Amino acid sequence: MLGIEDPWIWMAYILCFISAIGCMINGALKWNEGIEEEEVH
Amino acid sequence: MAVSTPVLGVIVLIYLMVIFYLGWIGYKRTKQTEDYMVAGRNVHPYILALSYGATFISTSAIVGFGGAAGSLGMGLLWLAFMTIVVGIFVAFVFYGSRTRRMGVNLKAVTFPELLGRRFNSRFIQGFSGALIGVFMPLYAGIVLIGGARFVESTLSVNYDIAVFILTIIVAAYVITGGLIAVMYTDALQGAIMFVGMAILLILTYVKLGGITAAHAALTAMSGQVPEGLAAGGHLGWTVMPAFGSPIWWTLISTLVLGVGIGVLAQPQLAVRFMTVKNTRALNRAVLVGGPFILMMTGVAFTVGALSNVYFMNTQGVIAIVAANGNTDLIIPEYINSAMPDIFVILFMLALLAAAMSTLSSQFHTMGTAIGHDFYRQYLKKGELGQTINITRAGMAFTIIISVILAYVLPISIIAHATAIFFGLCASAFLPMYTGALFWKRMNRKGAIASMLTGTFASLFWLVLVHGKEANSLGISRFLFGVDTLLTGTWTIIDPILVATPLAFIVAIMVSMLTRPDPQDHIEKCFKK
Repeated sequence: MLGIEDPWIWMAYILCFISAIGCMINGALKWNEGIEEEEVH
Repeated sequence: MAVSTPVLGVIVLIYLMVIFYLGWIGYKRTKQTEDYMVAGRNVHPYILALSYGATFISTSAIVGFGGAAGSLGMGLLWLAFMTIVVGIFVAFVFYGSRTRRMGVNLKAVTFPELLGRRFNSRFIQGFSGALIGVFMPLYAGIVLIGGARFVESTLSVNYDIAVFILTIIVAAYVITGGLIAVMYTDALQGAIMFVGMAILLILTYVKLGGITAAHAALTAMSGQVPEGLAAGGHLGWTVMPAFGSPIWWTLISTLVLGVGIGVLAQPQLAVRFMTVKNTRALNRAVLVGGPFILMMTGVAFTVGALSNVYFMNTQGVIAIVAANGNTDLIIPEYINSAMPDIFVILFMLALLAAAMSTLSSQFHTMGTAIGHDFYRQYLKKGELGQTINITRAGMAFTIIISVILAYVLPISIIAHATAIFFGLCASAFLPMYTGALFWKRMNRKGAIASMLTGTFASLFWLVLVHGKEANSLGISRFLFGVDTLLTGTWTIIDPILVATPLAFIVAIMVSMLTRPDPQDHIEKCFKK
C-alpha cells in the first residue's frame, strides 16, 4: 500500500493521519463542552 | 549555503523585532505572580496548542530525529503516531483537564507545586524542582547548541558568539515577560514551523514523483542498506527492523516509547494545562494540536527517510553517506541541495523558531523550579513574598549553567540528552503524576517512594547498565571493572522501560500498605 510493502510501516503512516484527523473531530465535537467550569479562577 | 547572508539577516532581524514586540506585550500584561507563572490562567486555546507543540518540538526533534529516520527508516513513524495520540490526545483530554482543575483547587503555579500540594509534601516539590534544575540544563544545553549551530552556519557568526547572542535574546523576553511572553512568542514560532514543514512535505513528494512513487523508490532501495546497519537488524527504509535486533530495541524502547510516553510527564508541557481557564479551551486546543504535531514529527520522519531517494537519484549515494556519516546533517544537507533558495530561508527561520520556542519554555521552567519550587517553597517554606524576583534569579542561574554546558559538553553525550531527559522525567514523575490525578488512594508515602525509586532506578540503569551512556561515562568500569553491570540485550533496553514500571509498582504497593491521606484534603484536590 502507498508503495510500502511492510504492513507495520504503512499502518503507522495511515494511523498518523487517522489520529490527527481524530484529534480534529474530537475538538470539533467538543467545541463547546467544558464551559461550566469557567467560574473557577 | 546558497542563500545570501544579507537577505537572511534582514528576515531574521524582522522576525526578532516581532518576537521582542510579543515579549513586550507579555511584560505589560504581567501584573501578579499568576501572570508570570501560568500566564494568568486565561490563555486562548490556539495559543495553548501552538505553544505546547512548539515547545515539545525542538530543532533536535526535526533535525536530529528526522536524521535518525534518514538512517533508520520510516519505522520512526510509530513515534509520530505516539506523539499525536499520547502527546496530544491523551495529554490534553485525560491529563490536561484534571491537571487544570487540580491546579486551580490547590492554587499551584508550577508542575512540582501541583504534585507537592496534591500529596501535601514540601519535599516532593523541592526534590522535583531540584531534579528539573539539575537535569533540564542538559536538555536546554543541547537545544541551545542546535540553535547556535544554525546561527553559525547561516549567518556566518562564530559559534561561541552565536550561543551568547541566542541566550541573551531568549533570556531577555523570558525573564521580563514570564509565561505570557513565552507562550505568545511560541505561538508565532509554531506558526512559522507549521508553514515550513508543510512546504517541505509537498515539495519533497513533488520532487520524487508523488506519494506512492516516492515510497516505492525507497522500498526498492532495500539492497543499499550499509553492512553495519544491516548487521544491527536494518532491513530497509520502509520495513521495520528485525524483531529483537539492537536497532529494533533502540527504535522501540528509546525513541518510540522513551519519547512517546516521556512527553506526558514533561514539566514544561504539563504546566501549560494550568494556563487556560476551562476544559473547553483544552478540547479546542486538541483540534489544532493534532494536525500541528503531525506536520512536525510525521513530516520530519517521512522526509528524512525519503531523502535517501533524492540523494540516490542525484548523487548515487544514500543519505547517511551524503551527510558524511553524521545523521544530524542529513536534513540540513537535504534542504540545502534539494529545496529552492527562498524555501531554504523559510526553513532556516522555522528551525530558529523551533530552537527558541523550546529554549524559552526550558528557561522559564528551570527558573521556576529553582526559584519558586526549590528555594522559596522548600528552603524558605514559602515565606518570601518576592516570588517573581527569586524566580528571575533562578532563571539567570540555570541559564548560565545551560550556556556553560553548551560550551563544554562533548558531542557523544549531547546526542542523547533529549532522550535522557524525557526518560528521567517519565520515571521520576509519570507514576506520581498519574496517581495524583487518577487515583485518590495514592498517598504521600507512595508518591515519595515512587519518585525516589523512579529517579534512582533510571539514573542507575543509565550510568551502569545502558551501554551507550555507561560506556562513555566509564563509571561502571571504574567501580566494578566491567563496562556494564549486565550484558546482552539488557544493555540496549532504555532506562524508561525498567525504571517507570518499577516506580508504578512501588507507588501502588506503598500506597496500599500505608494509611490514606486525610479525606478532606483529597476532596479539596478533586473538587469539581
